[in-house]
Amino acid sequence: MELQAIYDTLTAAKVAGLLGCDEPRPSNKKEKDPGRSGLPFLMVDPAEIVPLLTACRDMPLLQFDLLIDLSAADPAADGEDLWVLIQLLSLKHRHRLAIKACLPKSALIMSSATAVYRAANWHERECSEMFGITFEGHPDPRKILLPDDWDGYPLRKDYEFPTEYHGISCE
Amino acid sequence: MGLLEESLDDNVLTTKVDWLLNWARLNSIWPMTFGLACCAIEMMAVGAAHHDLDRFGAGAFRASPRQADLMIVAGTVNYKMGERVKRLYDQMPFPKYVIAMGACATGGGPYFKYGYSVMKGVDRIIPVDVYIAGCPPRPEALLEGLMKLQEKIKRTPVVRRPANTI
Repeated sequence: MELQAIYDTLTAAKVAGLLGCDEPRPSNKKEKDPGRSGLPFLMVDPAEIVPLLTACRDMPLLQFDLLIDLSAADPAADGEDLWVLIQLLSLKHRHRLAIKACLPKSALIMSSATAVYRAANWHERECSEMFGITFEGHPDPRKILLPDDWDGYPLRKDYEFPTEYHGISCE
Repeated sequence: MGLLEESLDDNVLTTKVDWLLNWARLNSIWPMTFGLACCAIEMMAVGAAHHDLDRFGAGAFRASPRQADLMIVAGTVNYKMGERVKRLYDQMPFPKYVIAMGACATGGGPYFKYGYSVMKGVDRIIPVDVYIAGCPPRPEALLEGLMKLQEKIKRTPVVRRPANTI
């Protein structure tokens, strides 16, 4: 199923949190549009992520049984939003879905997807330590890659590099 | 004394104690089984049949720092790992040697500027005897590094070592 059809299916089922559907990418490859590279995506409301993912997983027409990726991005240092990007795959229907949710930097909090897809567990831990997003209801909200006492969120554009770590100079 | 002298001739060597101890040391440098990144793949190649680290008596990779003489820091050291590397080094018995293999272990390598978590050289936490350039170094480069270390060991006074050294 193509993205537009998936969007229509979800709209027909009155699933909450749908904000829109990305248009097909420009066919001219010379046109550079950083926000549009990669898969066409579905814009969603981060507050409604759990019912939306549940619908994607359980609706017979969609049956997205696999969470491929859950990551985040900081598109601009002076921007107001972070993106949370989710990719789903249906092994039965052989179709994919990319989901994008914009979280305001002033309130980086959203519900954990682990209740729907258990694979989201480590992905959310990584997003959490790299971007400072809090996933409410996460079963194990520790850091995953960084040391426990690490300061700051390294993949944010406004991240300031440490000058020393436990007495070791970082210059 | 004729008979005894003749048999001594065949069975006794005269040498310097320093030379003998260093000879034994430098031909049995046992490295620790320990790799951090792609350099470790080259290190494994050196340990395997084609390059054959065993020719230098250094092919016995020990799985414990307590039995190791040499730490080959083969790969990118980040701060989280660096503290573990330091602890492993501290657990090795003297005399102990360190080879910083490749650009990362030498000075941060390609992560020097933007690697927020990468230590800019393992010599910030442990003393390094030999640095090997390359990213990753060819197996031959590691062999040369090992030979440099052997030369260094050969020069080390053991019996009359200067004060304040180990």
